[in-house]
Amino acid sequence: MADGEDNGEFYLRYYVGHKGKFGHEFLEFEFRPDGKLRYANNSNYKNDTMIRKEVFLTPAVLKECRRIVSDSEIMKEDDNNWPEPDRVGRQELEIVMGNEHISFTTSKIGSLMDVQTSKDPEGLRIFYYLVQDLKCFVFSLISLHFKIKPI
Amino acid sequence: MANAEVEAVDFEPDDDDLMDEDVGDGSPSRAAATIPRLKSAITGGGSSTPKKTKGRGFRDEAAAEADRNARMAGRFDSLDSDGGPGPERSIEGWIVLVTGVHEEAQEDDLQNAFGEYGEIKNLHLNLDRRTGFVKGYGLIEFEKFDEAQQAINEMDGTELLTQTINVDWAFSKGPFRRRNMRRRSPRGHRSRSPRRRF
Repeated sequence: MADGEDNGEFYLRYYVGHKGKFGHEFLEFEFRPDGKLRYANNSNYKNDTMIRKEVFLTPAVLKECRRIVSDSEIMKEDDNNWPEPDRVGRQELEIVMGNEHISFTTSKIGSLMDVQTSKDPEGLRIFYYLVQDLKCFVFSLISLHFKIKPI
Repeated sequence: MANAEVEAVDFEPDDDDLMDEDVGDGSPSRAAATIPRLKSAITGGGSSTPKKTKGRGFRDEAAAEADRNARMAGRFDSLDSDGGPGPERSIEGWIVLVTGVHEEAQEDDLQNAFGEYGEIKNLHLNLDRRTGFVKGYGLIEFEKFDEAQQAINEMDGTELLTQTINVDWAFSKGPFRRRNMRRRSPRGHRSRSPRRRF
């Protein structure tokens, strides 16, 4: 563990959700400094219930998550010109890395069109892609650890 | 770290139990930029270096905190484990993480490099959602512990497509503590008296 950013704390939490006909539907995951990854997915669609999973990650995984975050340069951005959360939905991204702590909130982003027509397309684009990359990472980790392969 | 209660030179400000007593006492170093809920969730009442904060998420803390606590409360499913150190087995096998993967790597490259250690039950080589190139990591599942361990031992630090890769376990049985986090005092009991100097 030699790189410069690695000597500080790391915490990451992402939430996306809305409240509607099927209750509070949301996806949330959290990388904690002790290595625990918590994942929650809730919907009452067709009376479905909450899925909650947690697993401890090794330092190697946390280090890779840090790399993904720092390569994105999200820590340099600011959400003050991003659309506010609304009835359609809400996203939250909270990251502690080293001595910086960001906590961004914005509405749901439907597509790149929403990004391009916003007041901060550059920053919002970084957020948009980082969230997708993080979801890919988390879904892979959770499904590999918990999901049984069909025959 | 700065602590107004330090009196004796040998005082161990890093003792876990003593730090717990200090939480919420309003000492200046802690009241600064740290948000209470995040402090407990993130730092465990530990390191109190004030952070540079940014973002609208710091408004409406009370309401947001209540929502968050409600969502994250309750039992989370996990696979049984004795909580000790060491890698943890996943549902049907052992997962290793490969990092430093070249952006033009393909699944076949990983299959060829790692397939000799055992049958690869699962392989995830995720792409960067913006560029379409490989993001840089891969996750490989082996059925047996020995296969995964050998892959780690022999492939970690080697080159794949001109780039050095690192290979390690992905999942652990328990939490890890970073090197520079608090350690239990070697004295093993609570005492604010300075140590005897011999």
